[in-house]
Amino acid sequence: MPGATLSRWTMSYFAAALSCLVAGLILTASGFGYPSTAIEDPESLAVIHLIAIGWLGLLFAGSLLQFVPVLVSRPLETPCLSLPVLLLMMVGLGLLLTGFLGLADILPLWSWTLPLGGSVLTLAFAGLLWMVTKTLAAARPLPLPAKFVALGCAALVGVAVSGLLLALPLSGVTANRYLVGFLLEAAPSHAYLGLVGWMTVTAIGVSYRLLAMFLLSPERSRMTSRAVGWLMAAGLGIVVGGILLAGSGISSTATIYLATAIGGVAALIYGLDVHFIFRERKRKSAEMNVLASLAAVAMLIASFVLFEASALSDLPIDLARPAAYLFVFGWLTGLGLGQLYKIVAFMTWLECYGPVLGRAPVPRVQELVNERRSSAWFLLYFGATVAATVALIAAAPTVFRWMTLAQLAAICALVFEFAQARRLAIVPQEIRLPDGVRHPQLFLPSFKGSSQ
Amino acid sequence: MTMEFKELDVRPILRDGGEPFEEIMKAVAGLQEGQGLRLLAPFRPQPLFRVMDSKGFDHDVVELEGGHFEVRFTPRMEEAVAVSENAISPALWPEPAVQLDLSDLPPPEPMQQILAAAEGLEAGKVIFAVLSREPIFLFPELTRRGHQWVGNYDQGGTAYRIMIRVGSGGRNA
Repeated sequence: MPGATLSRWTMSYFAAALSCLVAGLILTASGFGYPSTAIEDPESLAVIHLIAIGWLGLLFAGSLLQFVPVLVSRPLETPCLSLPVLLLMMVGLGLLLTGFLGLADILPLWSWTLPLGGSVLTLAFAGLLWMVTKTLAAARPLPLPAKFVALGCAALVGVAVSGLLLALPLSGVTANRYLVGFLLEAAPSHAYLGLVGWMTVTAIGVSYRLLAMFLLSPERSRMTSRAVGWLMAAGLGIVVGGILLAGSGISSTATIYLATAIGGVAALIYGLDVHFIFRERKRKSAEMNVLASLAAVAMLIASFVLFEASALSDLPIDLARPAAYLFVFGWLTGLGLGQLYKIVAFMTWLECYGPVLGRAPVPRVQELVNERRSSAWFLLYFGATVAATVALIAAAPTVFRWMTLAQLAAICALVFEFAQARRLAIVPQEIRLPDGVRHPQLFLPSFKGSSQ
Repeated sequence: MTMEFKELDVRPILRDGGEPFEEIMKAVAGLQEGQGLRLLAPFRPQPLFRVMDSKGFDHDVVELEGGHFEVRFTPRMEEAVAVSENAISPALWPEPAVQLDLSDLPPPEPMQQILAAAEGLEAGKVIFAVLSREPIFLFPELTRRGHQWVGNYDQGGTAYRIMIRVGSGGRNA
């Protein structure tokens, strides 16, 4: 049976993800972790994983449950795993953070928490991969966006396994020489697999479909898009090769630089694709979610330029970590917030008004959000993110913390806007609740209606 | 869905005095489901058309500069027509009572218009609509309301056509 329905637990994933983003930025703004301490210190690792797994991981997992069926026009396989995966991700992340805070002497140190957290997270990702890959496998031959998702899934396997292997020597449960060598060398590769391999590749694939859909642009399987896929796959292959050698004490710096260069070329070509999609659009006015995505793509390219500058120049300033900051907050987070702005409103609209469409007057999706106000928050967010990156490059920690506070303020305002959309708060009173429409839950599924 | 083509240039094989038929069949065997074959040849490969037709491929021929030909073999996609699980004998449905061109509307407006049109029609009447893409969230809602539907992309993959037969639960359900 073709078609897709609303994913029951996606809104709960989003709520958990946004909570982690807010918590992570509160910690950073208060001076906890990087850049106040070194990036490899346990405090920094706690904040990094709160953002990477808690915010981005949950955001991407929840989005995949909703968008994989849209990409292949088939219902999700074994959707009953959605809730267990969400709970396992939260428990696994909690254990991981407990482990890092133990290493930082903030909590008592239990050496088993890191490997156990890694194992629980691996189990959670296995459940997610089961749902996604089974759905994709049933829909072959895959359209191009779905092929990107499949490549992202392969990278997710890599990031989970490498994370587990990092947790073992870091927690001190093993002093195996290969794993200790791995610990010293593999962390950047682990980050590359997660942030570029899983998230960026998936986001690029999904954006080909979503941007074309929202802009009424013809969806073509372009040579350039295929080139992006092949380059990303090549970069990931190189990183995996580097990871395998890392345990033998061979530095993976060269492979990371090479993979980053290839990823940078892919990002440039992707930027070109976005330009084509935008140029061929039939819908002239672009909504906030599209504008935010464009800003995010610009930051993706800028962060790769910074990475390359750090690899090629011998300036006495650190560019690689600011580049990573811009990548996570400008590109992935900027894109994520931009898409959430549309997805939350659309899912809420479909959940509430889908069953009465055509039978009663209903608001348009745009009437669930306040675009003028939200655009101010997005402007503040992206401006503060660029300023925070510049402050990191200029080694101005006080300015950096003020800028993260501005990012936090923008995000809290956007979370408020999302909640307003969920509560139908700004829908004109006379069409807010036609007969047969009930208020949606804020972030839990309603156990009745069409959101099966 | 945009058609993907695998490319095979048999001109070098023929230039070297070789026989390309085997290469072509190998390429055809290696095609993925739904994938087409773009063949470049120094002449119009007339005999091949019947062979490929029997294998379920249509062909388009374009003459290139220098008297060469590009032939696109496209798999006939009987399976690409999606049918709702409650649909009975779509071939016998009456002519559409309502025709809608919704190809310039952003999602989810086409869904809204189609459901509204279905509400206004008696059971058994048929709606024909053209959209810019597959209305993925509309399908389950149509079935839930008891409407039957069939739909597919046009050959270029740029427009989605859907026929909906209004069900008896359509008016006041």
